[in-house]
Amino acid sequence: MAMTLDRTRPLFIRLLLLVLIVLVPPVAWVTIDAMAEFSQGLIPEMDKKAETIGRDLEASIERAVNFGIPLDKLEGMGEFFSPVLAANPEIRYLAVTDRKGNVLFMQGIDKASIESFYTSADFGEVDHAHKSILGPFIDMAQPLVTKAGRVGQVHVGTDQDYVRERLMEIAIDLAVVTLVALLIAVEILLFVVTFNITGPMRVVGTVIDKVRRGDFGFMAGVTSDDEVGRFVHGFNGAIRYADTLFRRLEAYLDEVKSAHFDPGVVEQVRDIESRVKFLFRFARTGQPETVNEHQATDIRLPLFLFVFAEEISRSFMPLYIRDLYAPIPGLSPEMVIGLPIALFMLVIALASPSAAMLANRVGARRVFLIGLVPATIGFVMSALAMSVYDLILWRMATALGYAFITMACQGYIAQVSHQQKRAQGLGVYVGAVLTASVCGTGFGGVLAERVGYRTTFWVAAILTIVTAVLIYRLLDSAQPNAETAAPRKREFLRLLRNWRFSVLVAFAAIPSKIALTGFLFFLVPLTLSQNPNIDLGDMARIMMAYPISVVLMSPLVARFADHVGWKAGLVAVGGLIGGAALVLPFFWEPVVVIPVSIWLLGISQGLSASPQLAMIPDLCWTECRIMGQTNVLAFLRLAERVGSFAGPLLAACFIPAYGYNGAIIALGVVVAGLASVFALLSFAYHAGPHIETEWGE
Amino acid sequence: MGHSSVAGGSGAGLPPARPVRWSLARKVSLALVSILLFTQLMAAFFAYYKFESVYSSLVQSRYSFVVFTIKKRVEDNLNLGFALRQLRQVQEIIEREKSRDAQILAVEVYDFRGEVLFDTDRGAIGTKVADSLFEAIRTGSSQSLSFSVIDEDNLIVGLPLVNNLGKVEGGVVLRYPIAYVEKGLSGLMVQLSKSIAMAVAVFSVVAVLGLYILFGGVGRKLGSMEQTLTEVMSVGGQAIPEGGGDAFEERFAEFVAKTRETVDHIRDATEEVGRLDRLQ
Amino acid sequence: MRRLASLAVMLCALFLGPMTGGAWAAEPAAKPYRIYMALWRGWEDAAQGFKDYFANQGIPVELIIRDAGQDKEKLKEFVAEAKSLQVDLVFTWGTTVTEEMLGRYDDPDKQSHITKIPAVFAIVSQPLGGVVPSLVSSGRNITGTTYLVPMETQVNLIQSYRPLKRLGMVFNPLERNSQVAVEQLTSIGHSMGFDLVALPVDVAEGKPRPASIALKVAELKAARVDFIYIPPDTFLNINRDLLTQAALDHGIPTFAAAENPVVTSKAMFGGVYRYYTVGQLTAYKAEQILVHKMAPGDIPIDAPKRLSVLINMPVVRQLGLFPPMKLLGLAEVIDRAEGKEIKP
Repeated sequence: MAMTLDRTRPLFIRLLLLVLIVLVPPVAWVTIDAMAEFSQGLIPEMDKKAETIGRDLEASIERAVNFGIPLDKLEGMGEFFSPVLAANPEIRYLAVTDRKGNVLFMQGIDKASIESFYTSADFGEVDHAHKSILGPFIDMAQPLVTKAGRVGQVHVGTDQDYVRERLMEIAIDLAVVTLVALLIAVEILLFVVTFNITGPMRVVGTVIDKVRRGDFGFMAGVTSDDEVGRFVHGFNGAIRYADTLFRRLEAYLDEVKSAHFDPGVVEQVRDIESRVKFLFRFARTGQPETVNEHQATDIRLPLFLFVFAEEISRSFMPLYIRDLYAPIPGLSPEMVIGLPIALFMLVIALASPSAAMLANRVGARRVFLIGLVPATIGFVMSALAMSVYDLILWRMATALGYAFITMACQGYIAQVSHQQKRAQGLGVYVGAVLTASVCGTGFGGVLAERVGYRTTFWVAAILTIVTAVLIYRLLDSAQPNAETAAPRKREFLRLLRNWRFSVLVAFAAIPSKIALTGFLFFLVPLTLSQNPNIDLGDMARIMMAYPISVVLMSPLVARFADHVGWKAGLVAVGGLIGGAALVLPFFWEPVVVIPVSIWLLGISQGLSASPQLAMIPDLCWTECRIMGQTNVLAFLRLAERVGSFAGPLLAACFIPAYGYNGAIIALGVVVAGLASVFALLSFAYHAGPHIETEWGE
Repeated sequence: MGHSSVAGGSGAGLPPARPVRWSLARKVSLALVSILLFTQLMAAFFAYYKFESVYSSLVQSRYSFVVFTIKKRVEDNLNLGFALRQLRQVQEIIEREKSRDAQILAVEVYDFRGEVLFDTDRGAIGTKVADSLFEAIRTGSSQSLSFSVIDEDNLIVGLPLVNNLGKVEGGVVLRYPIAYVEKGLSGLMVQLSKSIAMAVAVFSVVAVLGLYILFGGVGRKLGSMEQTLTEVMSVGGQAIPEGGGDAFEERFAEFVAKTRETVDHIRDATEEVGRLDRLQ
Repeated sequence: MRRLASLAVMLCALFLGPMTGGAWAAEPAAKPYRIYMALWRGWEDAAQGFKDYFANQGIPVELIIRDAGQDKEKLKEFVAEAKSLQVDLVFTWGTTVTEEMLGRYDDPDKQSHITKIPAVFAIVSQPLGGVVPSLVSSGRNITGTTYLVPMETQVNLIQSYRPLKRLGMVFNPLERNSQVAVEQLTSIGHSMGFDLVALPVDVAEGKPRPASIALKVAELKAARVDFIYIPPDTFLNINRDLLTQAALDHGIPTFAAAENPVVTSKAMFGGVYRYYTVGQLTAYKAEQILVHKMAPGDIPIDAPKRLSVLINMPVVRQLGLFPPMKLLGLAEVIDRAEGKEIKP
């Protein structure tokens, strides 16, 4: 029942419950309805096809029987039936029965399973196709009539499961839509709740605390026209009333002090003045100041939407590049396909430091808005791209925007969460990026399957424009100030001289990025697209496993790491799991094992990502003190992008030599090798000069 | 100096209550109902397109099978060495196939120059086929793969006819109306629209009700706090809500008390100054 | 690939008929191509197929038909006549006519052979090593077609009817064709896993004795062969009724590499290239030379794409050995009990 107004969680949980009730049942309703309609619509069409095929078989068999071949002596019926079965996946069996219903030939299923039905059925003397339901099959019997009269029937069995499988495909598509809708709903409602209720109430709380200490110098800066606005209006009214009374008193005091002739009275009045001023504080400007509190969650929805837009193309980017392929002299085709992905990562790496600096100087809001310009241009032009040459350019534009926007968000969060806990702020960032990744990957794949790659890029462009509107309208233009100046570049070199840090970068952070971009972003779509049974939607669903498993693993691991404190060990284990995941296709069929590899990769990243960051204060105690922990972490993120850049290119080098599967395995060997080096070296982490510290986040 | 002595004027010091134009429940309802609508439309979109692709490919595969059987028979005759235009029985074959299925608009056989040799619509014999069909048999990289073409309101499936010299002699195509496929789809479309409309209507009501209950609570709480504030400021008394209240309300109560105390104190101070001032 | 390309060119050319010199019926003003047809033993199916092709395709031709009547001497006159008439193309029928008129590839005697006028040949049993050095290209101004089904294809066809353990064969030891067949079948049998039981007919006074055929068949029966292979052998062709009836009496199915034993006798089935089809294919090559101006040396020498499978239904019924459905679907069925040949 407790619903504290300045805390998001209790209110939000109720809201979430309501969202589940409101969104899931109607989708289920429509799904069930659609599926019923679907099978009703498909079955007559399948019957017609079965009849058409049956008639053709009938003609061939009747011809043979008319040549004097007894029906039960027909030869080579298996070879005769197989191509028909192979060309028509919905046909499960073909059979010939004699007049009494004994099965003479059957191809596709074991005849024992339905023979008893045929012998008991009366096919009568009707001269047209006869339909019946035989357990899981729909049997279409066509009479065989020769010169000698009716000799038997030819049966075409359609699989009811075929319809059911198609229905399942729809259900899965819709499940993805529902999941994505739920996550979007969560993001939007979280925004609505924090923006409209908990945010203002937190501001009210801050003002209350000031008033409780007798400080009436501030008012809550909230001006909405809902209940909260009304309440805050009254609340501010009380403060302003006190302020007005004080002003009146002050004026009166001044008047008395300056105009009264009796020094005794003046003295007494002075006493009253100093008593009031001692007990209470009022604004010096003559008006209470308005308080606006910034929160990390302010930027969550825009960040979510933008990352969503970028992730939409995740599942098919290499395939789109392949469609636009044009040769680049000196590069293998695989290299050309890997190039836009690698350059995308490179641009992010190169632009991030300047973007971060700019965000500190001109404010996150402006940098976010600046970043949206190249990002939107990038998406629009990617949709219109003519060949791989210009696509590379447009992807680099998007990357530039991506760097600006992510740095703006990180800067914003770092600045506002100065007032709160930093870890919480980081959680907001990671949470938004991961949910966007789940939504974007899944939704993008399903969408691209229906409307094509190019239209999907248009959707991404529209999302960035919505993001721009949100940022422009909702994010306060008054920005909190930057805390520290960024350190000079030379100081970063100090970090690399710290061997523990360098080992962490080279053998843990970089390989995990190689696995991510080389395997998941590049090789997975290419490998899966070789299997004709896997469509884009399936591919996207398989790739969604990665952010989902990271989402599921990360909080568990974070808690575990805090308990155990064995951070280097977790990083090492995570790295080894990542390497092992990629080697799996060596042992099993890739189509079966790639989803498993992706899950494992997610687990690996979940295991190692947060301990990696958590190790930094221990490993670089001195550097953190000199440069600031934020900067050390930023440098780690920058350095690991070497891996993001190298991943697709490394994978592209392996493809010509080993094929797609081989490239995955080879990449796995590289990652596992680097991770083993880290595992070995991590034992040495405790040796040598080392400062145990309680430095926390 | 009692509280009541100053109570009279203090109420007038608070500003008039601000009207609520967009209540919280209304705002969130708008967001949630839009999400609901969006979700349902996306669900319908995906369901419809999936059905469309399965259904139309099923129809097409059935008709390409029919075309394939015609192709087999025509080619068997070609292999006996007859020229395509001499195969009088082809007219009979295609007319039989058309008579079996009322949906088939026409079956036509044309030669490599694009001249229609046989057609279920006999009037069309001797005319030229559309360029797209002529192209289809000429450029078809595989001589056994069927091609499909959309021609105004007809769907066309066809196969090239190949003689035993490996040479494309012509093509056979079957036309069926797009309307046939659309008719199969329209049922789903109507049903989907109906159930979506129903689902959106019903669950919008659920959403709005739920949100009014949820945010009604928030609104009431805010309202009662505001009420308390006004009351305490104008009449006086304790700001502790009945039933204890949560941490925020306690803090708020302290705020109210402090404000009241401050107001009273300043008022007292003002009176005191006034008294001193009037002393002369 | 090249074939496809040329096909496209051809279609194009035909469509734009008048521009390319006019090759089809709708252009009556076009001057007909003059083709000199040199035959060996009269007008038969290959010649008919050749002629019909032009009619079907609407290509105007003037055919100058000469029959040697199996007289080698006449061929020299044909060469002279073709040269003096300045025909556009020469068609030669059979190994003898082709070798005499066009010359072997290693001996193109300019005087006694046709060299300048392009030529197409048909019904040459062993063109490779005879009139041409390679089937890809003649290397000179001629091209043509083959008409014998490769032995592997024939064996595959028998296997597709029924799996084979032991293949029987009666042959005339005096004919080279048959000896070649025995050699080929023996080596194919090694790789495909069947034994060949090949029995030569008795020879008396330098001539094969027809009376021994039935005895040899009985011997094959004793050797428990699954099939009897009937080679394209002149002696056996003449005595085909004796051979096929004997096999039928012993209940042994027969496969013939030629048309006659199936169509006019009692062989159970056969796989051949029909002369008519071969004639059409030859005409197709002539068209490429005349209409599309391709150099004959660039046109490969090959056989029709599709084999004619012949099944003799009365024999099948008598033996009770029914053909697989797939084969039946492809085959031309001869069913004289119905009074006519039934085509699919």
